[in-house]
Amino acid sequence: METSFQPKILAFLCNWCAYAGADLAGVSRLQYPPNIRVIRTMCSGRVDPLFAIRALKEGFDGVFVGGCHIGDCHYQDGNVYTLKRMDMLARLLDISGIGRKRIRLVWASAAEAQPYADSVTDFTASITASGPLDRSRQTLALAGLSRALATPRLRWLVGIDRQVTERSNVYHEKTDTAHFQRVMQEAVETEYHKAMIQEIISQAPANVRELAEKTGLPVYTVSLRLNDLERNAQAELRGHEGRTPRFAAAA
Amino acid sequence: MNLQKTTEKTGSVMVVGAGVAGIQASLDMANAGYFVHLVDNSTSVGGLMAQLDKTFPTNDCAMCVISPFLVEVGRHLNINIISNSEVESLEGQAGAFHATVRNDPRYIDIEKCTACGQCRQICPVTAINEFDCGLDLRKAIYIKYPQAVPLAYAIDRSACIGCGLCEKACLAEAISYADTPRRTVLNVGAVILSMGSSVYDPSGLDTLAYGRHPNIVTSLEFERILSASGPYKGHLMRPYDREIPEKIAWLQCVGSRDINRAGHGYCSSVCCMYAIKQTMIAKEHVSTPLDAAVFYMDMRTYGKDFDKYYTRAKDEKHVRFIRSRIHTIEPLKNGDLNIRYVLESGDVQEETFNMVVLSAGLSPPPSAIALAGRLGIDLNAYHYAQTADIRPVNTSREGIYVCGAFQGPKDIPQSVMEASAAAASATETLADVRWTQTKVRELPAEVDFSGQKPRIGVFVCNCGINIGGVADVPAIREYARSLPHVIHVEDNLFTCSQDTQEKIKQVLVEKGINRVVVASCSPRTHEPLFQETLREAGLNKYLFEMANIRDQNTWVHMASPAKATAKAKDLVRMAVAKAAYIEPLPQVMLDVTNSVLVVGGGVAGMEAALGVARQGYQAWLVERGHQLGGMARQLRSTWQGEPVAPYLSDLIDAVHRHEHIQIFMETQVVHVTGTIGNFTTTLVTQDDEGKEKSTVIPHGAAILATGGHEYAPTEYQYGAHPSVMTHLEFDVAATKQDNRLLSAKLAVFIQCVGSRSAERPYCSRVCCTHSLKSALWLKTINPDVQIFILYRDIRAYGFRESLYQKAREAGVQFIRFESENPPVVSLTPGDPSEPNSSRLSLTVTDHILQRPIILNPDLVVLASAILPNENKKLFEAFKVPANADGFLVEAHAKLRPVDFASEGLFLAGLAHYPKTIDESIAQAKAAVSRTMNIVSKTAIMVGSVIAVVNPERCAVCLTCVRTCPYGIPRIDPEKGHAVIAAVECHGCGVCASECPGKAIALKHFTDEQINAKTDALFQAA
Repeated sequence: METSFQPKILAFLCNWCAYAGADLAGVSRLQYPPNIRVIRTMCSGRVDPLFAIRALKEGFDGVFVGGCHIGDCHYQDGNVYTLKRMDMLARLLDISGIGRKRIRLVWASAAEAQPYADSVTDFTASITASGPLDRSRQTLALAGLSRALATPRLRWLVGIDRQVTERSNVYHEKTDTAHFQRVMQEAVETEYHKAMIQEIISQAPANVRELAEKTGLPVYTVSLRLNDLERNAQAELRGHEGRTPRFAAAA
Repeated sequence: MNLQKTTEKTGSVMVVGAGVAGIQASLDMANAGYFVHLVDNSTSVGGLMAQLDKTFPTNDCAMCVISPFLVEVGRHLNINIISNSEVESLEGQAGAFHATVRNDPRYIDIEKCTACGQCRQICPVTAINEFDCGLDLRKAIYIKYPQAVPLAYAIDRSACIGCGLCEKACLAEAISYADTPRRTVLNVGAVILSMGSSVYDPSGLDTLAYGRHPNIVTSLEFERILSASGPYKGHLMRPYDREIPEKIAWLQCVGSRDINRAGHGYCSSVCCMYAIKQTMIAKEHVSTPLDAAVFYMDMRTYGKDFDKYYTRAKDEKHVRFIRSRIHTIEPLKNGDLNIRYVLESGDVQEETFNMVVLSAGLSPPPSAIALAGRLGIDLNAYHYAQTADIRPVNTSREGIYVCGAFQGPKDIPQSVMEASAAAASATETLADVRWTQTKVRELPAEVDFSGQKPRIGVFVCNCGINIGGVADVPAIREYARSLPHVIHVEDNLFTCSQDTQEKIKQVLVEKGINRVVVASCSPRTHEPLFQETLREAGLNKYLFEMANIRDQNTWVHMASPAKATAKAKDLVRMAVAKAAYIEPLPQVMLDVTNSVLVVGGGVAGMEAALGVARQGYQAWLVERGHQLGGMARQLRSTWQGEPVAPYLSDLIDAVHRHEHIQIFMETQVVHVTGTIGNFTTTLVTQDDEGKEKSTVIPHGAAILATGGHEYAPTEYQYGAHPSVMTHLEFDVAATKQDNRLLSAKLAVFIQCVGSRSAERPYCSRVCCTHSLKSALWLKTINPDVQIFILYRDIRAYGFRESLYQKAREAGVQFIRFESENPPVVSLTPGDPSEPNSSRLSLTVTDHILQRPIILNPDLVVLASAILPNENKKLFEAFKVPANADGFLVEAHAKLRPVDFASEGLFLAGLAHYPKTIDESIAQAKAAVSRTMNIVSKTAIMVGSVIAVVNPERCAVCLTCVRTCPYGIPRIDPEKGHAVIAAVECHGCGVCASECPGKAIALKHFTDEQINAKTDALFQAA
């Protein structure tokens, strides 16, 4: 099917596997859609989720990350960190409504030219089918994602995951994976919600219902998140309109 | 602390539960010569009261009144707070128990944690904030509330993921992930249970939709909403969308007086009052109009000044009180809530509110029930500790006592009263081992610096990064070096840490520093600690001044570091300026007279005298009448049905026999002089021939238990017909098996006779219960009798509600009347030749039928008011105040319910307010406990921050006498000037500021010292 939409896809490929696989695809003359632009990193573990959001903000419609298969990482287990981070990013994209379909993580070895080409083809088709990312309607979401992904809380949590769930936490135990996942999910949701609210009130004071409307969050959720922001001196009550209080970014 | 088990009696005691009751019991015992282990299963003390915004009926801030108690208990040398712990078992017997206590890990070293809060800021894991009732979140590392004692964080292990970030942030190195549960065996002579109450969870009542809509909150959640430290910082907003509510409904009896759905048959005793309080406070919190509606069954405002409070809410604050029980709350889409209710007339109303508060009742905490099981003490049908009315704080196991809300739902003053009562009871058998387990701090003699120039040492705290991370601490330190008289400066990572304290002590001695300035946090939390260090180094503790450069500087000016540094310099300069003028304030030891005068020979007075005597001290019992026993002589039984007569005769007997009691019958107090620890009272006794004999009694404290009496009705044909009788007459008649009772076919009880009237705007508290009890008794002896109780509100508070329930089951009929439309009793003349043959006729307007009902009773029992006894001269002699109703006024309605504002004087019984016999006994024992804080000591320390009069400047203008809030200054006619007793002065300084001649100086806050501060402030830096 011919379509006028030609998506822009940014890829981050690790030097040792995915990038080599992509080269091999070239050597092998395997054909795949021309929408992809590749940035080489030494390890997929170098990919900061903020790179992906930046790419989406700046005009890309999808972000592709390629690394070594688990167990084959040139840097022992750098790609496991990639996996954790991409999982967090996927959760965030889902919550934001942009959807995890905008990113794809693929393991491709230096020998897997065909699987690489197939993944690119498939991802390009998927993004094409999804259509262009409507940045004008996603301004708040993208700003929120950037803010949330820059919080020390999320960055610390994603970084400590393997230490506490696979090796040993400070109590010389392994933290229950389900417990950690719940903590992570809660953190991802609340940080994203707060980030959106901060984004709005940093421009002008707003009331709870306005915030709910702009963020698409339930009214009560906004009330709870504001509470969190107020407690940490990131938002404050600033005046009333009748019986309706307005909140602003803390001075 | 692992102790060897012993079978010998020990002078240590254990208190389980560190709410307001546990704190009071601990302080009382620790101040009276016992070492107290205070165990609590939470991370800090304070209990439920710490969560409250304001307290009724004075609308005082709860935290403001409780926090001095928290600080005192936290710093007391003879109180060992064992937080985060459960009592696992209790072996042995009274006098020599062995308690096994499991100490759960906190993962934070209390000694090292400075509560700076860095850990909280970086902890990535959130959890429900229980303190804010889930309206808010906290972190996995948390402190329950900012004023918590011990002031230290804790890790919630169930939430923590073990990431280790807090350890990296904690500069005080207080984190200890290796903590494990520990078990300690404590040897204690007695145990007091004060596990308090939890708040009923209404989620089980599905028609109220609680938990399904954020704008339906419990009363405790509403307290947090109102609280300035709560989730909304005290701005009244509804949770759902933060709108300021326009209409709020309070639903009473949620989880109380409900045997169907909640399974709680009792009345929670406190909800009517706290709901009224919340309506008034809520109205104060908003600038827009607020409609407050309270839906209730009976308004139970039965305590001191409670009815006036209720009236104020109704008449002045226009709170709507609607007698109706709500079944269903229907949430609407916009966050509003629909309520449908039936009026007494039967009309159905529908109304929409912005918010609904469920006045949730009290229920015993499950952990307390489990502990009671482990200790083997009996619980009542409602799972509260079972007690007898004549032993209101004794549990079923000897040596274990109970107080506060675990004994039964009750308010704060009643809890505090019982706490003191339990302290007295618990230590009664331990009197011979008093002061055997207590610690004394060994201190070096104070160095005399007189004549020396000030040599000031300045210690600037970084508080981790709390100060140093914002302000430039090295610059502040170097600035301090440039100030006059400063000979030593240093900055510390944590000035308050144990190792820094040791170093400070050394440097004070080495450099001969004679004034110390610490620039750190708040003197409210840390001054006592630094003062202790000074004292240990041989400096008088008043040679100390603090600059608050954290709580009131770097924490509030985080975004302006340069300005914060400049402000810190100002504060340090001011502190140094004052330090140059501060003087040592040595305290003087005053001997104490180890005896107690008790005035009033009723139950309260006798219990008090006996309590004092059993504690091993002399009691002087003064009664103006010719017999002991007071009102109890006429009472038949307690509300639980325990006979009064045998108890009373045993009590009278015990009082007569006790070697430490001397009784003065037909004796009046005519003159009182002296102050706390050393009073001298002149008694005048009337002998048989009418001759007066005076006796002078020295005593260290006094208890006034001057009692009350029954109002003699002028209404309802009282006195005109023998079958119209008061409560007390009913009891006497019942004891005599009087035929008027036995043969009655139609008995009517009329409530509020002389109470809740314009003349006496208070509730006499005991009458509803007494009528219910009497009606039930009548029904037992004569099942065919028809009984009506005519009432305004049935105030069967607490478990007394069970009598109301039984009375309804027994067929007693209840008719409510309005105060404007009381029943009318008239006499129909009978046979003129027969005395007393006239017949009674009674008309009352039934509130449901809305029409008059005419009854022809052959017995009318009047619930006559309780009046305080007239004692004007006595009260004047002691200079104690009485309120408009004639009842004595305690020092503080909440936390000092048995103390007078004047130190060393206490009150108990009906003189304070109408109360049942169990409450009188408890209050009397409480008064005993309070006196033990004085008379168990050989000496008391006086002096320090007090006002002193310069006789040469005093013009005897009486300004100080009039202005002192405690009435302490007096004019000494011999000396010809005002004198302020050092032992009594509270040190507020009002007199010093009022004195026209500037003849009064408040030590440590002299004009010179305060002016030095302001002068320093305006000197160019």
